[in-house]
Amino acid sequence: MPSVSELQEMYEQAVTARRYEERLQEEYLEGKQPAFDISAGPIPGELHLAAGHEAAAVGVCQHLRDSDVVTAPHRPHHVAIAKGVDLRRMTAEIFGRRTGLSKGKGGHMHLYDPEVNFACSGIIAQGCPPAVGAALAAKKRNTDDVAVAYLGEGAISQGAFLESLNLAGLHDLPVVFVVEDNDWAISMPKGRVTDVDDGSRRADGFAVHGDRVDVDDAVAVYEAAGEAVGRARNGNGPTLLEVQVHRRMGHFMGDPESYRPEADAERAEALDSIPRLEERLRAHGVEDDEIEGIRERANDRVEDAIVWAKDQPQPDPEEAYEDAFTQQPEGWPERPEVAATDGGER
Amino acid sequence: MAQVEAPGPETTDRELTMSRAMVEAIRSEMEENEEVFYMGEDVADYGGIFDSTQGLLEEFGHDRVMDVPISETGFIGGAVGAAMQGMRPIAELMFVDFFGVCMDQIYNNMAKTAYMSGGSVSVPMVLTTAVGGTYNDAAQHSGTLYGTFAHLPGMKVVVPSTAYDAKGLMHTAIRDDDPVVYMFHKRLMGLAWMPAPEGPKTPVPEEPYEIPFGEADVKREGEDVTVVTLGLHVHRALEAAEELAGEVDVEVIDLRTLVPLDTETVLDSVRKTGRLVAVDEDYRSFGVTGELLARAAEGALEDLEAVERVATPDVPIPYARPLEEEVQPGVEDVVEAVRAVR
Amino acid sequence: MAAVDAADVWPEDAEDVEEGIVATWFVRDGATVEEGDTLCEVQIEKVSVDVVAPVGGVVERGVEENEPFDQGRTLVHIEPG
Repeated sequence: MPSVSELQEMYEQAVTARRYEERLQEEYLEGKQPAFDISAGPIPGELHLAAGHEAAAVGVCQHLRDSDVVTAPHRPHHVAIAKGVDLRRMTAEIFGRRTGLSKGKGGHMHLYDPEVNFACSGIIAQGCPPAVGAALAAKKRNTDDVAVAYLGEGAISQGAFLESLNLAGLHDLPVVFVVEDNDWAISMPKGRVTDVDDGSRRADGFAVHGDRVDVDDAVAVYEAAGEAVGRARNGNGPTLLEVQVHRRMGHFMGDPESYRPEADAERAEALDSIPRLEERLRAHGVEDDEIEGIRERANDRVEDAIVWAKDQPQPDPEEAYEDAFTQQPEGWPERPEVAATDGGER
Repeated sequence: MAQVEAPGPETTDRELTMSRAMVEAIRSEMEENEEVFYMGEDVADYGGIFDSTQGLLEEFGHDRVMDVPISETGFIGGAVGAAMQGMRPIAELMFVDFFGVCMDQIYNNMAKTAYMSGGSVSVPMVLTTAVGGTYNDAAQHSGTLYGTFAHLPGMKVVVPSTAYDAKGLMHTAIRDDDPVVYMFHKRLMGLAWMPAPEGPKTPVPEEPYEIPFGEADVKREGEDVTVVTLGLHVHRALEAAEELAGEVDVEVIDLRTLVPLDTETVLDSVRKTGRLVAVDEDYRSFGVTGELLARAAEGALEDLEAVERVATPDVPIPYARPLEEEVQPGVEDVVEAVRAVR
Repeated sequence: MAAVDAADVWPEDAEDVEEGIVATWFVRDGATVEEGDTLCEVQIEKVSVDVVAPVGGVVERGVEENEPFDQGRTLVHIEPG
């Protein structure tokens, strides 16, 4: 069981992540009224928010340290927060600012914070092989670091994931695959895209440990992840851990969700993990005003990050030509110049 | 199926968005031919993230408008197999950038089977895919990759720029006995949440019609400079030509298909103007613009006075607005290039 | 004269939304349409709705493309012909 202070930490991360998504939603939709125009408003591009996924982030990351590696998918904010990614610079990146984690080049699906070994990417199951690679590096270097790959339940039919399971199992690598099962791959319910209800059974075919947490509960995740991360850290091989979470918002902001039964959204609301975590705190004797204090601290932190980010400068257009290589060849990339057969006169 | 003379857009006053025109052709082919079916992620109840299958589920059901697991290698390879059995599947790769997940099935299987079998096995399928940037979707969701697909032999490559062409090219694509990659630009589809520029919404006749592959469309005639382009940039080039009217008389050619490529129409125009500007949203190096300049040099060197190309510089597409705007070829870039070759 | 009002197509669960917008017109002003033809696509919050001609006739647009409208507006008039 987590200690009271661990419970408080997990709660703080969870409410920070929740508040963050709610505030980003507000910011994102600003300027998109009355018509939802994806190119308008203060936050560029697509936005995939993770409200309802917090238990999977905080329950696992509570066992991790900065040197452990995490790869996350296109819905990354909650995991980034739980892993300790610099919130101000992450927010600046999401707002497309020069002082963002990637100088505005990456965006919300491409957040990298090497200080805490966090990365995410926009293509389904893409983070699995790199997590295996990070685990391989840890094993070769004899550190006891572990790697965690987050993916959605929609990703468990993707080759990159299945190949990663096999490779990890074959070499007993210190990696944990965390499947966040929110029941929906965009519009496709789990039952339409796989005949296996319990995704952790995918592990059986690769002689890898498989486990599933059926309730959306940070403490249950903490227990299961403790075993999985411990197994990896102690050199006893990989685990596939599937965790039931809920998608409280659309797949992306702007998703009309017309495919989704209303009862399903109501279920997501009813089974939310955050009130459950609050009850745990109360059961451990944490007073309401302490809980309120944690919430206020989380809200302040989120607000600070957003205010800071919005005050940051936009990148200079010329910066678009930097960073494609670490050792960029001289004169690269080639820029337009007029070619004329009359000797090049313009 | 018999070749039907395409009725011109002037025969109707009904206007469609590109997505609706594309869907109308798919619907018509599915009604005519039981062997046509559609597979892709979120193509059934959602109707395609970019409306590529809007309304088809209601008419044809989940057996013929199939949602599939996120397993591009599996279902695109599956489409190849069904096509080799003589069916006419349409498989959708949600974003062209995802081709990395499944290129083996596309490149080594779909595209090479006819040749490797000495012509004894054909793969009559369509691979639809969404391309293009302009809405800050960053490095993994904004590519066009026209040149990548056109470079690899064995696939026909189609890039509609208007609703009229989208419908006719889709009919041709489904009826074609070879694999056709049908690349639709998100910004042109007429999505309520991603407003299209003026131009792609056109009158579209209700009856089925084909637009033959390998026939470029001269969108605007001009005497001074030839601008050759495709997709979204057809509309940007037309805007640039309009802006230059009175100063430079610009001819604008919409390639419509990259494979086969209508070299003759390009060369005829270059022989007339002597000046060629190739415009492409894809990467500058080793791509469509370089190919066009090469063909002009090979076929009309003596007439060629000056060339220029406008394309995306060789960097992954950045996220922040000022950065994407910098690399995305705009109307002003075309104007500048036209002035430069004058 | 027949008409389609914004209220006729307003989604039930969007009662609190103040404005919608015409995303696309599929017919020009003055075009002749048949009953059941799709006239335009409107967007009300995130929901897209097709507006269909209730009768055949000549179209007179009440709201232009990309123009916002509230629940009280008439989207289109149709003069039966």
